[in-house]
Amino acid sequence: MSCGTGGSSCETPRRRGAFVVLAILALIFVVLSIFSFLKSRNQVTPDTVSFGPYQAADGKRVFQAYNCMGCHTMVGNGAYLGPDLTQEYKHAGPAWLAAFLPSAGGWPTTAAVRAQLLDPNQQADGGTDSIEAYLKKFPGAAERIERRGGGTTMMPNLPLTKDEIGQLIAYLKYTSAMNTEGWPPKVEVQGFDRRVQLAHGVIATAEAAPAPAAPTAAAPATVDPVAHGAQLVKDNGCVACHATDDKKLVGPGWGGLYNSTVKLSDGSTVIADDAYLRESIRQPNAKIVAGYPTGVMPAYETLLKDDEVNAIVAYLHSLEKQ
Amino acid sequence: MQIEFQTQRLSMRFFMLMLVLFVLQVGYGLLLSLQQTDPTVLAGVMNFNVARAEHLNLGILWILCGFIGAILFVGPLLAKREMVAPWLIKLLFYAVIVIAVWNFFTLRLAQFGIAGWWQGQPWLQQGLEYLEAGRIAGVLVLIGFAILAYVVLRTFPPVRQWNEIHWGLGLGVSALMAVWVFGLFYVARLDLQEYFRWFVVHYWVEGVWEVIHITLVGFLLVLMFKVDVKSVGFAVFWGVMLVWLSGLIGNAHHYFWIGTPEFWQFWGSLFSALEPLPLVFCFWHIYLDAHVNKRPLENAPAFYFILGSVVLEQIGAGILGFTMTFALTNVWSHGTWVTPGHAHLALFGTFGMLGIAAAYYAVPLLRKVPNYDQRLGKLGFWLVLTGVLGMAFSFAIGGTVQIYVYRILGLDWFGGDVARAMGVFKLMLPLFGTVFAVGAGVLAYDLLTLGRRVAVPAGTDAHGEAATAHATTRWSRPLSGFEAGIWLMLMWIFGTIITLGLLSFNLPRVRVEGDPTLPYLLAGVGYPGLLLVTLLFVWRFLASMEARANAVAAPSLLRVLPAQA
Repeated sequence: MSCGTGGSSCETPRRRGAFVVLAILALIFVVLSIFSFLKSRNQVTPDTVSFGPYQAADGKRVFQAYNCMGCHTMVGNGAYLGPDLTQEYKHAGPAWLAAFLPSAGGWPTTAAVRAQLLDPNQQADGGTDSIEAYLKKFPGAAERIERRGGGTTMMPNLPLTKDEIGQLIAYLKYTSAMNTEGWPPKVEVQGFDRRVQLAHGVIATAEAAPAPAAPTAAAPATVDPVAHGAQLVKDNGCVACHATDDKKLVGPGWGGLYNSTVKLSDGSTVIADDAYLRESIRQPNAKIVAGYPTGVMPAYETLLKDDEVNAIVAYLHSLEKQ
Repeated sequence: MQIEFQTQRLSMRFFMLMLVLFVLQVGYGLLLSLQQTDPTVLAGVMNFNVARAEHLNLGILWILCGFIGAILFVGPLLAKREMVAPWLIKLLFYAVIVIAVWNFFTLRLAQFGIAGWWQGQPWLQQGLEYLEAGRIAGVLVLIGFAILAYVVLRTFPPVRQWNEIHWGLGLGVSALMAVWVFGLFYVARLDLQEYFRWFVVHYWVEGVWEVIHITLVGFLLVLMFKVDVKSVGFAVFWGVMLVWLSGLIGNAHHYFWIGTPEFWQFWGSLFSALEPLPLVFCFWHIYLDAHVNKRPLENAPAFYFILGSVVLEQIGAGILGFTMTFALTNVWSHGTWVTPGHAHLALFGTFGMLGIAAAYYAVPLLRKVPNYDQRLGKLGFWLVLTGVLGMAFSFAIGGTVQIYVYRILGLDWFGGDVARAMGVFKLMLPLFGTVFAVGAGVLAYDLLTLGRRVAVPAGTDAHGEAATAHATTRWSRPLSGFEAGIWLMLMWIFGTIITLGLLSFNLPRVRVEGDPTLPYLLAGVGYPGLLLVTLLFVWRFLASMEARANAVAAPSLLRVLPAQA
């Protein structure tokens, strides 16, 4: 395909014509772009969205700092290891996110979400402080708890602080409110069980994660307090953050913790006796162990009865350093 | 051919650096494919997002090294004089190494949530796909591009004397720098951030790299077949122009679902459907250039990789890009494994293979071993080609399953539902990845040590076989234009089947009743069909080229025939 034996370039006149057409196309593109970001488009912007004291605009910075897009997609762009996060807030709600994010390695249980609902920010944002109403409002949270609660996830734990978690929730609230022109497409296959059956050829309940059946069958109070404590720890999803040996997950490991000397963040030391352990469950922010962030663990003051706290402490006595 | 200009030798270091970065990138790719099957692999040490950031970052860097190497090698030939300011080129080389090492340390900070915020900008890393590097690296890269553009434009003759190759490279290196600027500021709105992010990513790939690619393919063919520049001028001109005319508004296919208005769906579907045109053009052009003159292949691996580059551009960028470019198909493929199938073929295939082709052309000349042993190069080619086609197959079919489970059935538990359904294809990925990695290792070893190993034994030709072994009949008979057209048509027929498969997710039978038979069937025919036809076509094309080795060389005065004369 030769263009002959003319001068050094025989395409000069055509090049001029092509540049003119290119300029027209560029103009079209610029006009379309301007219309895309006009105020009349009514697209939500991050400066108008907040969660409690936290701003969505700050959440976007946290989202980028942890390179969330390196595993997840956001408006469908990013990596494909984990789910799309655009509408995660809309599906699971702020309390589930607050229970999940600090200990992303484990799926939150009902009790873990309930603990978050004590937070006034959560009550204001979710519009309720009752777990039943919350799960009704955010069916995605109910489905996640029922099928996965207490199990382990594919996601590593991230060193998120309390503020970063609030900011991320605000950011996900913003992306949930965005108009993405109908993406992701609405699911139109009816019936959850049917959908799971179509995916795997089996009924959902047969495949469910280990946790769901247990909570209602809570052990009678007469049983061994250590076993009772172990059950409570499981139901409340404590092990999402605390290892039963002395490893650091999100919070301190429990193995050999009882009666050991603990260094606190204010520089003082304390013996991990019964009183200390009870206080750390009821008001975890009263004494923070050196090297751990404040405000990540919810207070169990009103969530656990005295005998339940004692059972958990008894269970902690039984854990040896490994 | 002799090396005429001393500054051509500067390309050598960039080719060597390219190979090192390539092997590292493939290593990260293998790790990622293992983490896809088992996310606990190296969790907490090298999380998936960090490995992926490195994988993308190194991918861009080594492709750029290949471009720079190729441009430095052909630049003096185009200018008919030495490159200006060789010290700047040496500086550029060290800058690339510094950036690669810097990114290795800064991208890791994502595991600790450190972006290095200062003056409202993330200076260390910014957690945006393809643009993960922070502002410090970004500014360094901008300086690097400025050096490249300065050196190339200063070396070239005055604009009035430019031919099509000068135009393509001149526009390419300038636009490379200009487009990068759009990635250098923090945007608070998600929709606006994605809008500008695609300025860099789309316009780089479909605006700038494509232009450099078409131009370099044209000029390498000129060098390899010793024809006149004018014989490719026409194809380079129309290739470049069609790339820009379709790709400028074609960027709209990234604006379907990011929060921008619906009208982009119309413009994106229309213009990006035209984007394969220049690629079909380029495909046809390599056929003509390679077949109208009957010279034997002197440097087989170099031509193998040029052919691979043009064919995979046709398949990966052209056909697979086309299948997912319409709003009605993209709504399903978007955000699934279907897209990396396209991306791996398009990025490695088109741009990576071009860099390797340029290295195979230049390195033997620079090391003065024109009669080098070509067997390892050919072996490496077949390994990476098979590997990348297999990876694309795993991605595409795995992605089809993912669309069904994730989008049609709405199950969003990756551990329990989505990954489980995709299981087989997640396992196939590291398998083909290993084939690819072995190929990459062979290529890197061959090129790094080329000319330092034992020469070809006497009695065999450079292809390592007795010259009479080549049959000129049947599979290796000359490839006619009609036959090449049939192959191209077959590829597009399978492309159409894939498009219909993605479209069929819209049917009530699939979407409401949840019956995946039709999309699975169409994908199950379309993807393997397309990839097999690709493999067979490359084999057939190269067999016909190899057969020339023992054909009587055509009279040396015969230049490329004007096809339309």
